[in-house]
Amino acid sequence: MIKFQNVTKTYNKTVRALDDVSFNVKGGEIVGFIGPNGSGKTTTMKLLTGIIKPDQGKIVVNGFNIKEDPIKAKQSIGYIADSPDMFLRLKGTEFLQLIGDIYRVPTEERKERIETLAEKFGLTDALTSPMMSYSHGMRQKMMVIAALLHKPPVWILDEPMIGLDPKSAFELKQLMRDHTKDGNAVFFSTHVLEVAEKLCDRVVIIKNGHILYNGTLDELEKQNKNQSLENIFLELTEK
Amino acid sequence: MKMYLRLVSALIQGVEPSDKEKKRNKIFYIVMSIIAGFGIMLPMTFFVGVIIYSLTGSLVTFGTAQNGVELFLHLISAFSFIFGLNVIFSVFYFSGDIENLLPLPLKPYQIIGSKFTAALISESVMEVLVIIAALAGYIIGAGKPIWSWLVAVIGTITLPIIPLVYCGILCLVVMYFTRFVKNKDTVNKITGIFTFAVIIGIVFLISRSGFDTNELIKAMSQTDNGVLAVMNIIFPHVPFLINSMDAASLWQMIVYLAVNVAAITVFMLLAQLLYFPSVIGIGQGSSKSRKNSSHIIEKMRMHRPSITYLKKEFDILFRTPAYFTNCVMINLIWPAFFYLIVVMQGRTNFLESFIYGIHSGNEETVLLFMLGISAASVLVTAVNCIASSALTREGKHFAFIKYIPLPYIAQINVKALVSIIISGTGMLIYVIAACIWLNTGIKFILFSCMLSLFSVTFATYFGIYMDSVNPKLIWDDELNALRGNYNIFFNMAMAIVIEAVICAGSYLLFKFTDVGSITIIMMLFVLIMILNAVSYLLCHYKATKNIENMLI
Repeated sequence: MIKFQNVTKTYNKTVRALDDVSFNVKGGEIVGFIGPNGSGKTTTMKLLTGIIKPDQGKIVVNGFNIKEDPIKAKQSIGYIADSPDMFLRLKGTEFLQLIGDIYRVPTEERKERIETLAEKFGLTDALTSPMMSYSHGMRQKMMVIAALLHKPPVWILDEPMIGLDPKSAFELKQLMRDHTKDGNAVFFSTHVLEVAEKLCDRVVIIKNGHILYNGTLDELEKQNKNQSLENIFLELTEK
Repeated sequence: MKMYLRLVSALIQGVEPSDKEKKRNKIFYIVMSIIAGFGIMLPMTFFVGVIIYSLTGSLVTFGTAQNGVELFLHLISAFSFIFGLNVIFSVFYFSGDIENLLPLPLKPYQIIGSKFTAALISESVMEVLVIIAALAGYIIGAGKPIWSWLVAVIGTITLPIIPLVYCGILCLVVMYFTRFVKNKDTVNKITGIFTFAVIIGIVFLISRSGFDTNELIKAMSQTDNGVLAVMNIIFPHVPFLINSMDAASLWQMIVYLAVNVAAITVFMLLAQLLYFPSVIGIGQGSSKSRKNSSHIIEKMRMHRPSITYLKKEFDILFRTPAYFTNCVMINLIWPAFFYLIVVMQGRTNFLESFIYGIHSGNEETVLLFMLGISAASVLVTAVNCIASSALTREGKHFAFIKYIPLPYIAQINVKALVSIIISGTGMLIYVIAACIWLNTGIKFILFSCMLSLFSVTFATYFGIYMDSVNPKLIWDDELNALRGNYNIFFNMAMAIVIEAVICAGSYLLFKFTDVGSITIIMMLFVLIMILNAVSYLLCHYKATKNIENMLI
């Protein structure tokens, strides 16, 4: 569902953030994207969602080329950005109404989705308040609800667990599993290796704009016997 | 002292566009700086200097040469106070850096002192040019010695201090006594509305008092001037500065500086007493009430994306105090000033012949009226900066524009519609009111409205294009999205230059050729339509490309 082929991205003609990077995410897969700070994770997320353009390479989401068919590609994506501080002067319901209309979510489906997701994340009573009065965690939950409102087949989540309380983190992980059971795809970045270990079917490890590893965690552990995932990760990324 | 300077420097950098933003389009900045410098700053400085020089020259014979410049400096101080009030409220209480500054081991007066200095520096750039021009006009007009130039330099740097100190004191007192009000946005908005109400009230009072320019000049020629006596109580530092310059008196200079030091000392003492009790916990002030949302969810209906997007733009513009004051309320203030200028003229001079000219269908008057409508519509749209900050206002979440499945041009059109509705509604009301007052026919009103609306549309799309070239996306509070935003200033400069060329060209065409005013007005209309098409195409092809290529 995600094809990221030979993508290169350079900032200001000097800083090469991604260098000929390729990976795929198939339907039914949860793929974790791991790497140290400044390794190119957020750049990859931004390229996948059409926020920035690649210098070279091809990006296809749900069968739509992000360059040639950006609107259809974007319609297929549920994206959680790295900062949840968005439109804080709007009330929760107003923000979700905006998202619902932009993604053309039918009225009845929208109501049902908002009620279900708000209940799941404990936001029902906060929806009528301006988002400015929300805590960081509540804002993050609101971004999760907004990203999932239109039932997108592809979820692209940049550090989605940050700020979530344990219950909400659990709910989100459960939602990710349920989502992939239906043949959809989840691609998310994280610094928490335990989350990747428990949740992901596959991980992509990136450093300095190059893919260091792309495969299952079991395979990775088999290759590095008697080592914890943390040690393997540190060894890989500190080479 | 070192820490104070570092803090001031850091706070000023928060207002200015980041280095990354400045570097993003260096040529654009250079070209626009030249246009703004030669299009606005130099002509304005020259104009002020010449006015004060002429006024001083005519007052020298009455022995009251300093009255003109003194009144002008009082007016500048009053403007500093009025326009500084919102800035000071925002900087002291609503800026994003407060949460970072409060945990630091700093005393209240240190925080306020550095914030005040940073605000003073960034707010006084334009003002300094006007003050130096006025003082230079006076020194040359009155033939003052070298000492006066030294005083002028000191005065230029220090004159804006006391008006901003007044703002600071008022702000501290208001916020201290309203510290129990939960919704601080309301306090901020009310202050903005109060400021505008005061301005409009002053304009109204002046107009009711039968104010007349001739009377003013007569009053300026008298040594015991009532207006100046009142102003000298409000801004006591001004007469000492002028006297020091006039009599080459070091003693007067010392008193002038002492008044400034005394004002700052009182202000710092108040800051030490009032700031922390009123600022701590301000971030948690907004509504915490929780209501069941099910009935609101039940009422939700599917709308066209552009409708909800438009509502979102309006909600943010009206709910954010900085935008509400600077983008929406500002539309009320310019007509008030214009009205004041008209009233100051008195009914005997230009205005009387203008009214007669419109009634009798005088070609020149009708042309001037139409040119005025077009110029005012473009300038009002540029000044309220709804269009020229349309992308900037997205700030850190600019990415939203890029990842949602809505074409960029559709989003630009919605943003343009917001500017057209707010600027256009305001302008149409003023145009219709002016036409009714001038007792023109219905066709005249309709044509004037169309010309105004198309001028607004042109300025709107042009403003959005200007913002797309290099939006200021890194700001920590909403006022900083507008303050220190070169795009807004450059857009205003471009609007002034374009309108100046159009108006001067049209008028010269009328004066020096046989082309009639009706033909020129039609040509003006066609030109505005062409400019509309050009600015729309700029948005359609260039602004969308700029958004697409923006690195965030």
